[in-house]
Formats: sequence, C-alpha cells, structure tokens
Amino acid sequence: MSLMPFASSRPLSIGVELELQLLSCNDYNLSSSAPDILRRVEKRAHPGEIKPEMTRSMIEINTSVQQEYGGLIKELSALRDVVSDTGRFLNVAIAGGGTHPFQHWSEQKIFDAPRFHHLSELYGYLAKQFTIFGQHVHIGCTGPDEALHLMHMLSRYVPHFIALSASSPFVQGHDTGFASARLNSVFSFPLSGRAPFVLRWDEFERFFGKMAGTRVVESMKDFYWDIRPKPEFGTIEVRVCDTPLTVEIAAAIACYIQAMSRYIMVEQRIEPEEDDYLVYTFNRFQACRFGLEGVFIDPRTHEQRSIREDITDMLARISDHAQELHAVEAMERIRDILIAGNGASWLRHAYAREHNLADVMQLQAELWMGK
Amino acid sequence: MTWSAYLPGWPLEVSPALWLALTLVVAVLVGEVLVRHLKLPRIVGYIGIGLLLGPGGLALIPQVPATEWRLVVDLALGILLFELGSKVNLRWLKANPWIAATSLLEASATFVVVFWLLKWFDVPAITAAVVATIVIATSPAIVVRTVTESRAQGQVTDRLMLMTALNCSYAVIFHKFAVAAMYGETGASLIHTVMPPLYVLGGSALLAVLFGVTFERLHHHLGHHEETFSFVLFGMIAFATIMAATLKLSPILVLLAAGLITRYRRKRTHTFPPHFGSAGAVLVVLMFIANGLAGDLGGFGYSLLLVLLLITVRAIAKLLAVLALANQSGIGLRQATALGLALIPMSSVPLLLTMDTATAFPAFGSGLGLVLMSCIVILELAGPIVVQMALKITGETPDKKI
Repeated sequence: MSLMPFASSRPLSIGVELELQLLSCNDYNLSSSAPDILRRVEKRAHPGEIKPEMTRSMIEINTSVQQEYGGLIKELSALRDVVSDTGRFLNVAIAGGGTHPFQHWSEQKIFDAPRFHHLSELYGYLAKQFTIFGQHVHIGCTGPDEALHLMHMLSRYVPHFIALSASSPFVQGHDTGFASARLNSVFSFPLSGRAPFVLRWDEFERFFGKMAGTRVVESMKDFYWDIRPKPEFGTIEVRVCDTPLTVEIAAAIACYIQAMSRYIMVEQRIEPEEDDYLVYTFNRFQACRFGLEGVFIDPRTHEQRSIREDITDMLARISDHAQELHAVEAMERIRDILIAGNGASWLRHAYAREHNLADVMQLQAELWMGK
Repeated sequence: MTWSAYLPGWPLEVSPALWLALTLVVAVLVGEVLVRHLKLPRIVGYIGIGLLLGPGGLALIPQVPATEWRLVVDLALGILLFELGSKVNLRWLKANPWIAATSLLEASATFVVVFWLLKWFDVPAITAAVVATIVIATSPAIVVRTVTESRAQGQVTDRLMLMTALNCSYAVIFHKFAVAAMYGETGASLIHTVMPPLYVLGGSALLAVLFGVTFERLHHHLGHHEETFSFVLFGMIAFATIMAATLKLSPILVLLAAGLITRYRRKRTHTFPPHFGSAGAVLVVLMFIANGLAGDLGGFGYSLLLVLLLITVRAIAKLLAVLALANQSGIGLRQATALGLALIPMSSVPLLLTMDTATAFPAFGSGLGLVLMSCIVILELAGPIVVQMALKITGETPDKKI
C-alpha cells in the first residue's frame, strides 16, 4: 500500500480534535456510555463531527476547518454544549484532562468497530491502557515539502505544547509527579516518537514504502508520532497535547501553534537540521515531568532556560503574527497559563483542597461542561 | 457431682439460632456453586435454600418467630434502601423529564392492569386496590444486590435504580391510603381514615430529613475516614429503622427518602463499600435467607391461575410502559426491553407490605395475601436472574476477557 498524495489545503488553516472522558455521575469513574451519547447526538444538528474512540468511555469532537480563533472557539463551544446537554440528559458527565485519575484499564470496554477490535487484538492491554485523552491540532500547508519543513521546525517547540496543555498528573489513583503522565502511555507504542528526518516528500514516500514493505505499517494511522503529516487533509497534525480542562484553553493552544507556524513560514526562514533532535527527548521529558518549570535546552545555542521563559520569549516573537491571525485573545490566554499554571497544577490544587480524586474529577467535569 | 453437671443433656437442646447459623453456611456455599457452575446470581441460592429448608419447604429448621426475623429484615432492608437512595440522582429527572414520565406511566399501568385483573376475578375493589399498589414496587433489595454483584454501570443500571426508588415510594405511599380506605370500609370514622396515612407520610418525611441533616454533619467531620464513617452510618441506619418502627412510621419510606435526600443535598459524590461494609453485607445475606424462610406457596392452592396471570400482566404493563417512552427518554430498543424486564423482581418491600396488611386484616392474609406471597416467591427467585441477564445483554457488566 502506498502513501496517498498530499492534498493541498489553505495555509495556516486550523482544525482541532479533542478526546473527551465520559463519566458516571454516581462515582465519577469512566463510564462506557459512548454508544448512548453518540446515538443521541446523531439526532441533533451540530457543527464539526462527534465520533467514537478506542474505548467506550471516550468520544472525540472534531471541528471543521477554521481560519482563526474567533471561528474556532465558537465551533468548539457549540460542540461542547451539544455533548454536555446530551450528557446531562443521560446522567453522564463529560470532562477534559489527559488521564482519568483512578480508572482501571482492565475495566474499559472496546468500542464495537472493526478497526478498534483489530487494534485491541494487536496491542492487547496497551489498547485499553490507551484510555487517555489528547488534543490534536491540524495546521494546513500549501504543499508536502512545506509540511515536512513545518513539522521539523515545530518539533523544537513540542515542549511548549506539552507544558501548556499538561493536565494528567494522576494515574491509577496516584500523583505520578508528572505534569503530563498521558504521554508515558503513548511512548509504550512501538511506532511512537518523532518522524524520521526527511525534508522532501519523495524521500518521505520512499521511507513509507520501505516501512509498508516490511508490513510493519499499513497507513499513516499506524505511526503514533508526536507530529505527523496527514496527506489526505494536506496538514500536519500536532499530537502531543493533553486534552485541556476547557475548550477555551484548547482553542488558545491551537492558535498558539498556528501563530508560531506563521512565524516559522513567513519570518524565521531557517532550515531544520538533524542535530536539532539531539535534545528532543530530553526537552520533551522535562516538559512531561515538570511542565512549565521544566528545563529547555536550545539545540543550536545550547542555552538553558525554563520552558516558561522560552514560551514568554516566543510570545513576544510571534505577537505580530498573532495579530495578523486575529489571535490576540488566544495569546492572552497563553499568558494567563504562564501565570496561573496549567491544567496539572489546577488539578493538584483541587486535590489538595478536596483530598479525594472523585471530587477532583467532578470539579473537572463541571469546569468542562460549563453552566 | 453427676454426669449431667458437665455433660450436655440428651437429646441435645439446641437453640433455633444454631440451625440458622448452619443455614447461613449452607446458603452461602450453595450461592457460590450457583455462581461458578450455573452463572446464576448468588441471591438465588440464599433465597432458594431458605425456601427449601424453611416451613414452606422441607421444614428442616424449626420455625423462628416472625418478630425475631423482622429486626434483621428491617435492618438489612434499611441498609439496601438507604444505599439505593444514595445512589440515585433525582436531579436527573429535571434534565430528562421523560424518565419521570416513564416511571409514572409504568407505575400507573401496573396499578390499572392488576386492579382490572383482580376485579375480573371478583375481588372487592378496595382489596384489589391494596394488592395493585403493593405490586407497583420493584424489589430494591434484588436490584441493589444484583447491580453490586455484577458491578454493572450504564443507562439501564442507572435508570433501573432510579425507577425502583420511585416505584417503591409510590407503592408505600399509596398502600397507606389504600389500607386507610380499607379501614374506612370496616366502619372507622373519617378522621381515622385520613389521619393514619398523613401521620405516616409526614412523620416519615420528618425523620428522613433529620437523618439527612445528621448524615451531612457527621460526614463533614468524619467523612475523610471512610471505614469509621461506615460504622457510624450503620448505627444511624439501625437507629432510624428501629425508631421508625417504634413510632409506627414506615421504615421503608424513611430510609429510602433519607438516601435520596442526602444524595440530593450534597454537592460531592461519595462512594461507600457495598452495603456499607461486611456487617451490612452479612445482614443482607441473612435477609434473603429470611425471605426464603418466609416464602409461602399457599397461593398456588388458592388460585394458581391468578398467581400466574398477576405475574404476567404486571410484567407486560411494566415492559410496554418502558418501551412506549424509550425513544423520547434516550434509550434504544434493546436497552428498553432490558429495563422493562429488570423492573419485574419483587421481594422484601412487597413482602413487608403484604405482611403488614395481613396483620391488620387477617382475612387478607388467608386470601389474596397468599396469592401475593406466591407471586413474591416466584419473582424473588426469577428476579435476580432476569436482572442479571438484562444488565448483561445491554453490555453493562464488565467484559470478562481483556
């Protein structure tokens, strides 16, 4: 099977996918209510898409292709309201956050669809342990080579996206000490990590052809990379973010990536180098473990600073681009996160106050559902 | 010094409690066999053994006075009712009024068809009304126990618990009125016809609110220590049950309403161990055995046809009512069928209501009461199996394989 040709899309268009947790209102544990929710939302008009995911305690909401923050936040809010209303009607709470704090993987049920059953058979318990909730952001690119360029340039800033969205400190009833423990589950998949360092699409096609020849992969879907090209959409897809605790933060992070992409495409104009990846896993680990306080090493200057400082610096550099994209409000929200902390610190504060993870989960759901 | 000073006399004089202890052991073992080999719910074993060894069956264990059992049954039922109430989210009815509509339709349909059936069998209207109110109730004991045992969760489970809590309340409340009307028939003055139900309802509601407020207070101070809190709660349930009985209120209503009130008032959820700990669980097992011991199939002799018809029309009424509003309330056909069937079990609540009516009107006990008792025995044995199957076919029990 060969790779499909790279579709063209409007540059810097954005699309957001959010995986959401479905919870029982009795104990705020995950509840296998995806079929009930999906059956019900089918009957309601809504923008974007609402889809099943691997296990029955999660659903995914997708926006349509958007150009800027205003349209994105409007559509995400509409999607949030549709699923929240449906949830209330069915006594199911819905929440953001990258992990459920106390679910047990063995209790999850696989959604009844051929692809999910296939994955479940292949990966065994990993599939159920994959009951984690991420935000994926698509950025439109004019062509495939531009997409690969953007992908490798954005890789340097993967720690930013992780630290800003991090909202999964608790796993299986305990504080892991990580800001984003969710990514630890992703890393256990054999094809996770980063894309190979190729800058031209024909080279990438050759790489894919060789991989497909070994029969390790069948389609791009089998790569669980942090950022991967999505040829059928003509986009690159940033996949490292936890689902944030609110749609507002999700939209702000998407627009931060969008503004940064514009900066890379229009202003920065430097070529990616293979050596940029020398510090990649170190930086990414720092972001997962310590969030905004993590250490960030610049691959070119070898300078060390905190991820928070690096984001502050980036915000200054991209502010003109954000203005062009009408994303000033989104940048304000990013600044708020730098001051008030990310989702992980919100959750830790809530736990320090409530002493009970079910209560934390309830607050998390109330925050996400609004009203 | 003689032999008899330190050796037991012959034949041995054993207290009935010894046989009951032995019954507990046997019933629990039989329950395990049922689970392992036949995949049947354990409580079928508990009730079945009680029925088999009790006066209604082989009569192997001597009759224990009903009053001694009554305390165990009341306590265990109190635990289960409070547990049910505290798991039910009344706010859901506001977000989805179709569930309230389903519940009202299901209860009124049950009342109407059973009343009509009994009239057709020439039962006096007032007696028919009493029976028809009793059979509105689904067994909270069987529902809570089976849900706990199968670790089910989902739409059908949540709705089953909510609708059970609601139809038990209807049954208890309207039963009081029906019984009061029965007294009216026998020539009591109007004031004594109207006052008893009002006293019972008002008093029970007051006691339930007091329970709820105390619960909140205690939980505020002790809630962080789950085990200690469970002990206190257990004592409170026992106190409320006995207090309700002493004041001639309805323990059923008090504990159910107390559970509902505490769940409604508190802002955070709380999970407790099943039946609030192992002491509660033992009482629950004893209650099912006691229900079996109290089982009486005398109704078969009275009118087997009526017993079977009553069970059938009641089941059809509940099933059709749930199916009628399934789409509006947001569940599919399979879920609605499962929910309708899972509402069938009858056990402690109707049993206690029947026994109370029979105490007040001995003629009822030797007539229609027997029919009701037989229905209860059948639906007590079949109920847990039906509920378990309903939860299984809707995929609400955990997957066995990884």
